[in-house]
Amino acid sequence: MSGGETELLQWARGPGFVLAIAVFVFGVVLRLFEILGLGRQADLSEAREKKRGSGWQTILSRSFNFSVFNPHTALNYIVGYVFHLGLFACILLLIPHIELIRGVLGFGWPGLPTPLVDAIAVVTLLAMLVKLVDRVTSPVKRLLSTWGDYLAWLLTFLPLLSGYLAYHHLLWPYPTMLALHILSAELLLALLPFTRLMHAFTLFFARWYNGEIFSRKGVAS
Amino acid sequence: MSRAQIEKAHQAFREVMDAPTASFFSSCVHCGLCAEACLFYTETGDPRYTPIHKLKPLRRFWEQEFTLLGRLKKRLGLSRPVTDDELVEWRELVYNACSLCGRCSMVCPVGNDITGMIRKMREGMVASGNAPEGLIGATTRAVTIGSPMGVKLPALQAQARHVEKSTGLSVPFDREGAEYMMLMSSMEIINYPEYLEAVARIFEQAGKSWTISSEAFEATNSGIQIGSSDIARELVSRVVGAAEKLKVKTVISPECGHAYTAIRWEGPNLIGRAYPFKVKHILEVLDEFRASGLLQTEGMEKARMTFHDPCQLVRRGGVIEQPRKLLGMVAENFVEMEDHGTMNWCCGAGGGVSANEEAEALRLKAFQRKKSQLDALQVDTLVTACANCRIQLEEGLEKNHMAIPVVGLTEMLAEHLVEQGEEGSGE
Amino acid sequence: MGTISSDGEFKQAVGQLSPERQRAVGALFVEHVLALSGDARIEYVIQTAAKPDAGKDELARALKEAKGATMDSYTHCGEQCNWAEQGGYFVARAAEALVTPIEQSKAGGPAWQTAMYCRMARNCEAIEQGMPEGNKEESEQYRMLNEFLGSD
Repeated sequence: MSGGETELLQWARGPGFVLAIAVFVFGVVLRLFEILGLGRQADLSEAREKKRGSGWQTILSRSFNFSVFNPHTALNYIVGYVFHLGLFACILLLIPHIELIRGVLGFGWPGLPTPLVDAIAVVTLLAMLVKLVDRVTSPVKRLLSTWGDYLAWLLTFLPLLSGYLAYHHLLWPYPTMLALHILSAELLLALLPFTRLMHAFTLFFARWYNGEIFSRKGVAS
Repeated sequence: MSRAQIEKAHQAFREVMDAPTASFFSSCVHCGLCAEACLFYTETGDPRYTPIHKLKPLRRFWEQEFTLLGRLKKRLGLSRPVTDDELVEWRELVYNACSLCGRCSMVCPVGNDITGMIRKMREGMVASGNAPEGLIGATTRAVTIGSPMGVKLPALQAQARHVEKSTGLSVPFDREGAEYMMLMSSMEIINYPEYLEAVARIFEQAGKSWTISSEAFEATNSGIQIGSSDIARELVSRVVGAAEKLKVKTVISPECGHAYTAIRWEGPNLIGRAYPFKVKHILEVLDEFRASGLLQTEGMEKARMTFHDPCQLVRRGGVIEQPRKLLGMVAENFVEMEDHGTMNWCCGAGGGVSANEEAEALRLKAFQRKKSQLDALQVDTLVTACANCRIQLEEGLEKNHMAIPVVGLTEMLAEHLVEQGEEGSGE
Repeated sequence: MGTISSDGEFKQAVGQLSPERQRAVGALFVEHVLALSGDARIEYVIQTAAKPDAGKDELARALKEAKGATMDSYTHCGEQCNWAEQGGYFVARAAEALVTPIEQSKAGGPAWQTAMYCRMARNCEAIEQGMPEGNKEESEQYRMLNEFLGSD
């Protein structure tokens, strides 16, 4: 193991980690402040007696809303689920990650066998590739997409790919691959609040507002 | 367009910005699912009609004005401000290709109320002079004459007199202390006067007092459709003023979609206070009559029929079961469309689309969605509860050579009222 | 049959007529307001309706023409209403009611519905001309019905 590789890894695990977390926390707080700080006018119309649904309900139910599930959208839905569930599994159910979190937060949880997470990672990577092709070929997505979408994709893809490569000792020596993996994850963390990936936090508010707007009118959205 | 005008758009955008809107824009991941819920997209395949795409200028404005990163980018010349040309280009998307139906808001995976945001975007469009000609004309007439279609009191009184003659009942104007104040949309006064006849007969049977205000009878709120809160406020204030003057308990919004949204949901927020009276859609009132046993009907419609859910009434208004319960009184062969209730498809003409001549071809194309729903169902009659939907449905059916009569629900109920002293209904 | 002088009597009398006779008297009503419409299709509908032996297909074709006339004459949402032209819309609706099969007709039957729409058409003329006291179409319809029934 050369000195250079260890230094990179040490930096990634040490100052890099702290820096990434700091920027991440700062970024998330800033963005939430920017958003929620705008406030919302109270609704003076009389809400229905029978309210139906709620903001909290929509937070959950929107994840299971298949009202436009059809041959055109099936890919969107299925790949969306596979990707998100796979990503969460890779991040939160891999034992080395859980140990990292335990080191920071003081608690952890049981993980899945690493070979299983490895298989999930492959599926997730494939799902991401499918998503990329879809984004580039679907007329609607192509029109909507900006460089921000492709950046978000790359930021998410790199940690997955580098983690996979590191685990399998592929491409470059393990310490380098590991360092790259950690750095790519740190990049993801640091840039998350300033990209579309912020949806991971803001979608809870968006769904809540949606549910509240509709429920007071008697519609469960 | 002058600089001053685009500034007005910016100012309007600034005023409508709030936490929900910022949450929505922050959460959009450009998945495009909203397109699949929008009939303007599904019936044309044009990706520009993707709901969230219709908001692009507003999104850019939000980012540049309300996010640190966006402001930095603007400072560094990495993003252009929203321009006149952009708003001109977006007029078609915001007004021709959106009926404010709300379906996109129901399916967005991250929960965006896209419809609500389009309503907000229209504020900036109006402020900068980018609203369609037809809507501007209608709105001007609404403010200056009292009706977007130029209906003046004598015309309404003439219709009322006709109803009085044919029913033998009175259509009371300006009756102080009446329980209900009836609003009428210009479309009903002009094209569907049988609605007034129907309510006169139903209220007679129910034994409920009602009145029309000669000072504020118009239900249609063109301000809501064009997207001007100032105008919408003025129009709502007239109704509120009249209702307070007549000391009525409930104001009834007629069979018109956006009228209900305007007076029931947006009104108090426009005038800045809650009402001292209730606001109900005519179907809510009729259903209350039904539940209290005040609505006596006889005979059943035998034709196979279905209900078109007016978007502002059902999905955006929450009046979902009432039409079904009322239909249950008079229809023995009622079937639901596959997408029904809060997920029914728009007729294609709401939100000012029908008042916008530029949108005519697109509006009729959008109708194809309703056509597919009807083709799948094979009904003999189509029932609805909005005069604007009704005319769009009739026109769409006629142009597609489909011989399905369209009936208003209130009118249908009135036809089945138990009459005293006369033979039963024409069935 | 006694002279018709009220809507109650009017409605009952036309309601008791056979479908062919309802069409015949309805045609007279529409003819009376024809001048309020500029649409040539209405004339065709009246002629078809007045034929005692008009077949189902013929009537269906006439109904289609009447619907077309209705759709071409209604006041579009948000447009300035021209009451003179709006009269034409109600004439078209009267023509529609005239050739609607009796099973699908609204309450009162085709002749009653036709009469009502004709009155609305005349109402539009009255609004246009600023006549505060309404119109005389109703009494004209009583007269036409009396003549029609008297000529049996």
